[in-house]
Amino acid sequence: MSRQLIFNIFRYNPQDPGSLPRTDTFILEETPSMTLFIALNRIREEQDPSLQFDFACRMAICGSCGMVINGRPGLACKTLTKELPAEITLMPLPVFKLVGDLSVDTGTWFRTTNTKIQSWIHTDQEFDPAVVEERMENDLANAIFELERCIECGCCVAACGTANMREDFVGAFALNRIARFMLDPRDQRSEAEYFEVVGTDQGVFGCMGLLACEDVCPRELPLQDQLGILRRKMGFISLKSLFKPKARAAS
Amino acid sequence: MSGIDTAIYVRQPSRTAAYLDWLQMLTGAGLILFMWSHMVLVASVNLGPQVMNTIAYFFEATYMAQVGGPIIGATMLLHFILAARKIPYTSGEQGAIWRHAKMLHHTDTWLWLIQAFTAMVILVMGSIHIWTVLTNLPITAAKSAMRVQTGFWGVFYLILLPCVELHVGIGFYRILVKWGLIKRSGRKGLHRFENVLTGVFILIGLITIIRFWTLPV
Repeated sequence: MSRQLIFNIFRYNPQDPGSLPRTDTFILEETPSMTLFIALNRIREEQDPSLQFDFACRMAICGSCGMVINGRPGLACKTLTKELPAEITLMPLPVFKLVGDLSVDTGTWFRTTNTKIQSWIHTDQEFDPAVVEERMENDLANAIFELERCIECGCCVAACGTANMREDFVGAFALNRIARFMLDPRDQRSEAEYFEVVGTDQGVFGCMGLLACEDVCPRELPLQDQLGILRRKMGFISLKSLFKPKARAAS
Repeated sequence: MSGIDTAIYVRQPSRTAAYLDWLQMLTGAGLILFMWSHMVLVASVNLGPQVMNTIAYFFEATYMAQVGGPIIGATMLLHFILAARKIPYTSGEQGAIWRHAKMLHHTDTWLWLIQAFTAMVILVMGSIHIWTVLTNLPITAAKSAMRVQTGFWGVFYLILLPCVELHVGIGFYRILVKWGLIKRSGRKGLHRFENVLTGVFILIGLITIIRFWTLPV
């Protein structure tokens, strides 16, 4: 016989002045290969149509269904109920603005942070649609793609102790993103320009190395390695300018 | 004209965060090395009080105790000031990290809280210890035994020892992963190594405290 799953789900609608934060319990019979995506949709269809949560792709590509599953940030669509105990507690991701119940607004946070770290290719080359695209070594393209796999689900930010304490910390997402541009030969930014963006206490030096980002990332991005490499790179850039005072003027 | 710093209005690119992070790591690494050597000196009493006295005399004769001691004390204070930049002080921040750690069930996050808590204990008790030892040079096994057997000092060291060893062990692990010296593949192994290392040092420390406790004075 299949398990009876008990779902404790955070409920709160900030739009409704009468709403108070509470936990609602739903009971659902487990079905084969059930994911939290399936479970939540069934609860909404069969038990409570007012339950708010976000989904789009149901295959760990869109990054909208990030939530706190039994204490750990993760993607609901990628989490099988059989991997969880019979009692499952679902909470919205912290740090981000709460839309209602399990739905949070990650978009505004990512938009702001992407702007802050200037998350685009900086180049003075004019784009010419008639010219064949410049070639890139396959290994390099793969290395860039490895970091480009981030889906901006927000799990690393929600799991980050620093981000939970300090609003202005850019998080593993942004540092991984900068690492990706530093690899890209099309981005013409200098070391000093990258340093200006992430060589701060709001950037890589704000990271305290708790590595929850690495442990929860649903895409298993190499965040531990990227944060370490970036800290060393930024550290050495700062030392270089210490020994070459003239290079400082260039920044 | 009086000088008004325009950086008040327009943020200047600054290397300060990087330098402070370097200093925090380097003072931490230096103190880790010191604590390991410290353990060798103190635990040498288990091989006989004479062995410890000989080592202590070497540090005395070379002025390493008289000069090095205060330097270590100052390094500890500097390391505290640098690392305290990361420690939550407002009740809002403290509440945030506490709720976060309870939610996440994540070992490394708890280890960080232990690191921050033991830091406060070491700041106070470590300072008292350094003051007591350095105002009563030279170091000898007999004097150390006398102290451990007097008043509250035995309990004092039973509290300070695990705090220091946990802080040193976690700090050692944290520096290596934070600066990317240990990669993803090596993290689990390093974690295990750090646990064993901390356990072994606490054990040696306990044996040493018991030895001082039972040393005839």
